[in-house]
Amino acid sequence: MKEEWDVIVVGGGHAGIEAALAARRMGCSVVLISAKIGRIGELSCNPAIGGIAKGTIVREIDALDGSMARSADSTTLHFRMLNRKKGPAVWGPRVQSDAKEYARTQQRHLRNSGVTIIEDEVTGLDGLTEKVSGVRCRKSSSIKGKTVVIAAGTFLKGRLFRGDEHWKGGRIGDISADSLEDDIVRRLFHVERFKTGTPSRILQNTVNTEQLEVQKSEKTSFTFSYDKSMNNGLEEVCYVTYTNRNTMEIAKDNLHLSPLMVGRIEGTGPRYCPSYEDKVVKFPERMRHKIYVEPMGYKSRYFYLNGLSSSLPREAQEKIVRSLDGFSEAEIADYGYAVEYSYFHYTEIDDTLRLRKTENVFAAGQICGTSGYEEAAGLGLIAGANAGRVAKCLEPLSLSRMESYIGVMIDDIVSKGADEPYRMFSSRAENRLHLRQDNADRRLHNTGELFGILSEDKSELLNGNLREAGRIKVLLEKEIVDGIRLSKWCRRPGTSVEEVVSAANSLAGIDEEVLKSVLLDEKYSGYIERNLRRYESRRDLEKISLKEISSYMEVEEICWEAREALEKSRPETLAGAERIPGIRPTDLQGLLIYLDRRRSTWNNARAGEI
Amino acid sequence: MSPEIICAVATPEGTSALSVIRVSGKGSYELLESIMSLDKNRLKGMRRKVGRISDEGQIVDEVVVVSWPEGKSFTGEEMAEIICHGIPRSIRTIIEILIKHGARRADPGEFARRAFVNGRLNAVQVIALAALWDTEKSRSVFTGKIEESCTILLNEIEKAREAVEGNIEFSETHLDEDNKSIRSVLRDLIEYAKDFKREADSHENSSRVLIMGPTNSGKSTLFNVLTGKNGALVSDEPGTTRDGSTGFIEISGRTIQLCDSAGTDGIGLDRTASEAVINELDGTEIVIWMSEGGMTPPDDEVIKRAGEIVLIAAKSDLKNRIEVERFLNVSSVTGEGLEELKKIISRVPGSMSLSGVAARIEESIHKSDGFISSREYDLAAEILGEAEIEARRIMGKGENIELSIERALAGMCVGK
Repeated sequence: MKEEWDVIVVGGGHAGIEAALAARRMGCSVVLISAKIGRIGELSCNPAIGGIAKGTIVREIDALDGSMARSADSTTLHFRMLNRKKGPAVWGPRVQSDAKEYARTQQRHLRNSGVTIIEDEVTGLDGLTEKVSGVRCRKSSSIKGKTVVIAAGTFLKGRLFRGDEHWKGGRIGDISADSLEDDIVRRLFHVERFKTGTPSRILQNTVNTEQLEVQKSEKTSFTFSYDKSMNNGLEEVCYVTYTNRNTMEIAKDNLHLSPLMVGRIEGTGPRYCPSYEDKVVKFPERMRHKIYVEPMGYKSRYFYLNGLSSSLPREAQEKIVRSLDGFSEAEIADYGYAVEYSYFHYTEIDDTLRLRKTENVFAAGQICGTSGYEEAAGLGLIAGANAGRVAKCLEPLSLSRMESYIGVMIDDIVSKGADEPYRMFSSRAENRLHLRQDNADRRLHNTGELFGILSEDKSELLNGNLREAGRIKVLLEKEIVDGIRLSKWCRRPGTSVEEVVSAANSLAGIDEEVLKSVLLDEKYSGYIERNLRRYESRRDLEKISLKEISSYMEVEEICWEAREALEKSRPETLAGAERIPGIRPTDLQGLLIYLDRRRSTWNNARAGEI
Repeated sequence: MSPEIICAVATPEGTSALSVIRVSGKGSYELLESIMSLDKNRLKGMRRKVGRISDEGQIVDEVVVVSWPEGKSFTGEEMAEIICHGIPRSIRTIIEILIKHGARRADPGEFARRAFVNGRLNAVQVIALAALWDTEKSRSVFTGKIEESCTILLNEIEKAREAVEGNIEFSETHLDEDNKSIRSVLRDLIEYAKDFKREADSHENSSRVLIMGPTNSGKSTLFNVLTGKNGALVSDEPGTTRDGSTGFIEISGRTIQLCDSAGTDGIGLDRTASEAVINELDGTEIVIWMSEGGMTPPDDEVIKRAGEIVLIAAKSDLKNRIEVERFLNVSSVTGEGLEELKKIISRVPGSMSLSGVAARIEESIHKSDGFISSREYDLAAEILGEAEIEARRIMGKGENIELSIERALAGMCVGK
């Protein structure tokens, strides 16, 4: 066993895997500790990767040479480009994956990369909170490391609920990291509770699929990865069914048995991904909810019921499922349940994902208050890369929110937090027209090189794409069709990329994917420039440091609510203050005036001394 | 017309623990330093000083003076606030001392007007402030309506954005994937934008500049020179302009309504015409009082009801040239004083091109609707965002710092 690791990763979920791999690509020695090695990389909830904005994150992960995209590509069973009719900037690639195969592939990536995997439960950090020396484990005592990435997902004091059943666990069939949570709380980290849930899994052969709507996979050569070599060619169909009045009545009759409704669960759940009982309470007038019936894998025995998450008792879940068309005889293999867990309050985390109280501990994944595989993986990748940098005595880096969804996400969660598990939405990005799934490779190329997390092959591939894009841009400036320069033509309202391609002469024979992506850059360039300008001018706010304010409660220039909100989150700059919910422009001005006045009194006092 | 130092009590009348007196204009520091016996430049910049105001050796009050440098104050000018004890008699004395040392009493709304002229307040804010004063004077104003319709519009834009964004994020898992509901939201929104545009237009038209003065003082000639057309009947015969005439002038990108009134020297036929004009005044106008040889307005009503009076010594090319303070020598023939006069006119509050902004918002919403129908929701949302920024900006809710320093002051109860 190694004396001291560069990076210790706690947890083998989507965040932990990317963290370990990223640090490894930087040449660090990495150990990943998981309570159950066999479940590393599991898709604990739905067997799908991607979606609107989420799919773009997966492409960003690939641009940074992470493994999620490649593993999703090689286990794809069903593909859809969501929002195809809403504009290319909001297209969301989404695949159904073979859940088992996905986990195996991820585990293989870990092993092949030289990450050491240890099966154990981490029970606490070792050493001073300001600078930890490693982690303590249940079986193998202490493991020493220069840096630690905590990616414990929903395991921190995880509690599972179903009806009046409740038990410890971060996920069904797993332990709960109670000792680690105790240690974190003992070290005075501020943690809060969130809740999430998962629906039941149904035995496929008990479902009459003939009564269901069929949703076929799109025929496409799309891959999340820019390597484009991974598609397995396997295919499965998905189905769609709907809830009805009966379903709703059953849920209503059983509401009093819901651990959520009776207050047994105190954590806040995600509004955008509610349990079925939530839906019934919030939209009582709506009978019909769409339920996607998704196979858990290729020729799998199980269906996943997307949209029917529930923590009602088993009998009620059974009745609900059987009320659906095609499910009258259905047998539930695994019942749905809710999980409540601890996560770091956003004030604990800085914009490099380092815990503010420490020099060398990073957090990634659901433990940061997010939800979703893609979000977790994106955070993991950056946390791992930054842990690698700190292990090498380099300053950790932060990402710009104008360049990637990962940047938007980190900025959002560390500067304003969320009152429910944070999920990525395209509308969270003010520069959405730029943050597309088609250009993640070019957007993140610099970041990847800067971190030094790109393999040689990847670097070569991305550099090639970049050069090609540059060449296309030159052609667009050169060729004139019907008296209009191609670049300008792209920007004309109502012009589609296809029109430009078919009208131009010089664009023949160019790789279509890069070409279309560059044309879209051109099409949106006016808006993007405007967004950047606006952002730059707002960045001036970022240059105004609030560090000299020791207590906001004494800033009389602003209202009480603002003082409390600011004291709670203690933003570093005026821009950070602006993003805090409830802070009004007048409060910002109040802060400015306070600072100006303070500075002038300070100057006066100094002048007096001299 | 270099801004003079103005002063006024900013807090309500009556006895209170403290009162605030505002002083604004270049030279304010010097004035206060002298009446407080402070060293020179002690108030320069953003300062806070405790001191005593004394008059001929007699201490009037112990006060705190807060000063702001030019460009950073409510009015945008060099400015100070005297926090004194709220004793009516001592407040009056302080004001008298200030006047004795060169300040003058501020006109109603003059601080806000200066703030507007110096770009420290936006149009809607000025209107809101005006509405405030007007309620105090229990006068009905239409100006509150424009803010209301802008607030509604902003709310509706936010709602429409929510609808579009919701559709982008959720339509795939939603039942209703059609864009009919969004189209109807946008169609409603267009109506709200039109309402706002109408309000803005009507408000813009109502910012008037009136030319008044004795018969045959050259009002119509000036009107024609300013509007650049032969709208008014010009003649050397007294009384040839009977019913007044209206035109629009463009000054620094603003459209301002200019009214030529009939002679107002109160004789014979003109008496009725002039009364009609005077009755129309509602305190928002600039009245250009034209006379030959520096005659002041005879009618108290005019002085009482006008927002601001600009005194003009007309026909300065002829014998009438005078060197009286506060009179601007203007000649429509030689062009003397015209540029200066235009500058003054351009300061009419509310004449900022709100209409233009309203038109842009309306256009954005139209565009957005177009993008929805061509199934470019990404652009539709982007454009709606632009519209929201515009609306927020005129409401003073934008990210632009410069717009809202005074709002912070207002929130801190130091503004009007």
